[in-house]
Amino acid sequence: MFWPFLYTIYLSFFDWNMIKPTKEFVGLQNYIEVLKDPLTYKVFGNSAVYIFILLLLNFTVPYIFAFILDFVIGRMKSFYKSAFFLPAFISLVVGSILFTWILNPVSGPVAIVMGWFGLEMPIWSKLDGWVIFILSLITSWKIFGYNFILLYASINGISREVIEAARLDNVPLWKIFFHIVVPMSSATGIYIFIITIVQGLQFAFTPIKVITQGGPNYASSNVIYHAYHEAFVLYRTGHSAALSILTMVIFVILLIVEFKYVERGIYYENK
Amino acid sequence: MKTLSRFWLLFMAVVFLAACSDEEGDSSGAAASGDKVKIEYWHVNAETQGGKTVEELVKEFNAQSDTVEVVAKFNPDMYKGLMQNLQAEAAAGNAPAVVQIGWAFLDYFSNNFSYTEPQSIIDQYFTEDKTFLTDHFLPNVMDLAKNSEGSQVGIPYSLSNPVLYINRDLLREAGLDENGPKTWQEVQQFSKVIKEKTGKYGFYLQEPADNWATQALLESNGAQMITNGKATFASPEGIEAYSLWADMIVKEKTALHIGWDQGIQSFIDGNVAMLYTTIAQRSNVQNNAQFDVATVKSPVWEGKEVKLPAGGAMLAITAQKEEQQKAAWEFMKFLYSVESVAKWTKGTGYVPPREGVADAENGLKQFLEENEMMQAAVDQMDVIVPWTSFPGDAGLQAEQLLLDMRDQILGGTITAEEGLTSTQDAINELLK
Repeated sequence: MFWPFLYTIYLSFFDWNMIKPTKEFVGLQNYIEVLKDPLTYKVFGNSAVYIFILLLLNFTVPYIFAFILDFVIGRMKSFYKSAFFLPAFISLVVGSILFTWILNPVSGPVAIVMGWFGLEMPIWSKLDGWVIFILSLITSWKIFGYNFILLYASINGISREVIEAARLDNVPLWKIFFHIVVPMSSATGIYIFIITIVQGLQFAFTPIKVITQGGPNYASSNVIYHAYHEAFVLYRTGHSAALSILTMVIFVILLIVEFKYVERGIYYENK
Repeated sequence: MKTLSRFWLLFMAVVFLAACSDEEGDSSGAAASGDKVKIEYWHVNAETQGGKTVEELVKEFNAQSDTVEVVAKFNPDMYKGLMQNLQAEAAAGNAPAVVQIGWAFLDYFSNNFSYTEPQSIIDQYFTEDKTFLTDHFLPNVMDLAKNSEGSQVGIPYSLSNPVLYINRDLLREAGLDENGPKTWQEVQQFSKVIKEKTGKYGFYLQEPADNWATQALLESNGAQMITNGKATFASPEGIEAYSLWADMIVKEKTALHIGWDQGIQSFIDGNVAMLYTTIAQRSNVQNNAQFDVATVKSPVWEGKEVKLPAGGAMLAITAQKEEQQKAAWEFMKFLYSVESVAKWTKGTGYVPPREGVADAENGLKQFLEENEMMQAAVDQMDVIVPWTSFPGDAGLQAEQLLLDMRDQILGGTITAEEGLTSTQDAINELLK
């Protein structure tokens, strides 16, 4: 597991095109190039937007859904559970191809239905902003179910007595959610939060690769895809490795921040 | 302590995320047996992309040859993957005999590997085939496999070129000539009429992650992607050609600007009247379109000569020993026979690289009668030129700059003139 990581660090100091037998040592040149390249900042910006949207779609929404399913909806619970989880079984490549068709802005079913209402679908794959939003949607389709099930299990595990007591006192639902459910399921919550950030960027890779290849003009590229693009499309392994290492440094810093400030407030049931 | 171990776990997860690993490594375990000369043929054709035809051809060859036994080896990840494997094997001293080399790797291959020109093997050992190549191949087609020093590195094998697919029903509905436009100016006018009369898009030019079709558009107007190792596409002709396409998308909104898959889909669904893409898409379009569909030759620029880049690959001989080289030519001669080429065309959708196949009874005569859409591509074999690859290590980056430019121009953020000029400068800076 650590070998690829060490190898990446090693590669980040060399100029190599993956085919040549020799690697040329260039010191920190790759890092300097990456930091000077305006594209680096663009893809980091994009990644932040991806993370924000994915958190909204795959952390906030399933949290609320799980709560609603557990406390508000009475019947057909298992149907909803499986329905939400089902897409997680299907490969994202297949999903991406499927959505390319479903969301085809000219001739896809969604565009046709929108056409009935006189709405025109934007050609999202070529528009800044839109493209990230739609790709995030496609990515969510895959990870939503998993996150949902975990959050549901956690919420389901909260002691009924506390909730019943609150209900008897006529505490409104939103208050129950924010003051009881969220704090008591926060151990799973923080796990989902982090996994959404880390995995979300990885999962977004597949639709990016299949649908836009990072385009238009890098508007849909995130750090992971860009590292791939540099290494496996342009064969600039050094540049790519340097970008990967920088990405990792940033994530490690974020993790440290998380552990310093957020972890304290987390409730672990059996600690 | 618990916190620390959790931190550790997450740290590992992040490491895993940042490190990109590439898997590689399949060994070719072919033990020499009998008195037949055993050679390896490396190809990139997966099961769905003609792999079955490769197997069939190799089997057939082995059955009829008393002296040579060919082992076909599939290389995943297309021509790049093959190149990587070749690097490893060549370093270990056991190169295969015959390999497929994609056009983009022509120069890289010839600079870094030892190969033998097919003609020199023929001259040495097979004097009866002396004129085989000149007899059966168009000179412009043979030129595709020449590197920048003029060496005939290999022989073209898989060939494709761009054609214009037309939706005849839509053209008729708009009151236009159902045989499609002949010139690019007509393409522009047709699109306008189609948009007005039917509300559908007139035109889509393929937008995959390469500049193949764009090259056809520009070079047919007399522009040159590259002259003496420098980018020269921002000539007045180049700008004129690019502007026509950009205008159709940005100003007139009669052409579609969208990803390749969705573009082809939209044509197949009948929402776009004309589609400019590779002939390799023929079976997809032919099998799925529900309307009167046809292909016509690539449009011309009035008074100019059409120049179409070739897609695909060539076969090169990397065998080092004399007996292996002989065996390699025997096998290649078999692959380039009329029957084999016909099978190859049917199995892959490529255009036959040699002459005398299209109208031969034992070749593609019947096939072409049944698949009229192939004809346009076969007819324009004489105007095929090499697909430009920018030289040197920065070549791929140069290619990428052109793609970035395409997004900007077609997105309407810059004009074709600005885009082409600044990109040309940037590329020439890179190539220095």
